[in-house]
Amino acid sequence: MELTERDLIRNCQKGDSAAYEELTAKYYRRVLMVILGIVHHREDAMEVAQETFYKGFRNIKSFQGGSSFYTWIYRIAVNLAIDFQRRQKRAVADSRENMDDVVVASESLGTDPYRELRDRELGERLLAAIDELTPDHKAVILMRAVEGLSYKEIGRIMGCSEGTVMSRLHYARKKLQEKLGPDL
Amino acid sequence: MSDCDRIQEWLGAWLDGELPQARSAEVKLHVEKCAACAAEKVRIQRLDAALKRALEARVSDAAFAPFWAGVRERIAQEKSPRQRVFDWMRRGVAFPRIAWGVPVAAVVLIALFSTIRPSGWFVPSNQASVESIDGHGFNVALLREAKTKTTVIWLFENQETEDENPVEPAASEQAF
Ligand SMILES: [Zn+2]
Repeated sequence: MELTERDLIRNCQKGDSAAYEELTAKYYRRVLMVILGIVHHREDAMEVAQETFYKGFRNIKSFQGGSSFYTWIYRIAVNLAIDFQRRQKRAVADSRENMDDVVVASESLGTDPYRELRDRELGERLLAAIDELTPDHKAVILMRAVEGLSYKEIGRIMGCSEGTVMSRLHYARKKLQEKLGPDL
Repeated sequence: MSDCDRIQEWLGAWLDGELPQARSAEVKLHVEKCAACAAEKVRIQRLDAALKRALEARVSDAAFAPFWAGVRERIAQEKSPRQRVFDWMRRGVAFPRIAWGVPVAAVVLIALFSTIRPSGWFVPSNQASVESIDGHGFNVALLREAKTKTTVIWLFENQETEDENPVEPAASEQAF
């Protein structure tokens, strides 16, 4: 019988690391996506994501189910990623080195070669453009566009009001649209 | 501000389903009639979709096994509080540890002096105060004693607190 998420969390709280492994397997990609959007470098993103799940494990006993596990782990992820991004002082040129990953990784997408090419180019430009936003703006647009979180959930994660989420989101979308111009 | 400018301010929130009903109806009505705002709506949808696709592509080859191995390694490296104290004492003979001992002893002494004074001498402004600041991976305790104007700064390794929100919310900088 498959365990529900609530059962898994309860087992984790009793120290069952296999249950935590199962929870991690369920969410690691989604968490990684948002972190990657904020910190840009894939290796850095992996480190921050692993640290996120490690911190989640250490603090799972304090998780009371007031929010979903997913929002809870997101909160850890986004705050660690923003913190990491604020501290890192890498040159912009250096931050472009991993762009080749996009080309390699997107090979598996779709079957229409024209669409694939267009998506790939757009994706590269988009990821370069998003890197120019502040960490707060990045986090907000990623949580909305990638994860579809509500403004309320985003506000809880970021520690700001829904109104602030709305203005940041509007600003971030506008900036990205300006950068991408007619390509969208 | 023209009608279109005003509507375009709300387009994103409308697509996100975050507008109050009356405003949502207003935006919907406008978009149905206005080609420029309808095109803007499509651009926002494309932007969100392209962002999601680009990131999905970048994590599509991130296998679980090595990811979990990294998490497990962090868990395995974690030491119990008892082990930490033992390690600290074992290395206590080394000079840097003795150096740490000096401010710690000062903290204890000043704290003692500030609390055992006879009540007749008690002046609130002379009390020692201890503040704790959470740094990155370290706690910083500041002990201030008003009378002698002594400040002791004490750094010690961060012990995770067991609360619902293990990481503080990101500082809410107004960056727009
Ligand atoms: Zn219009």
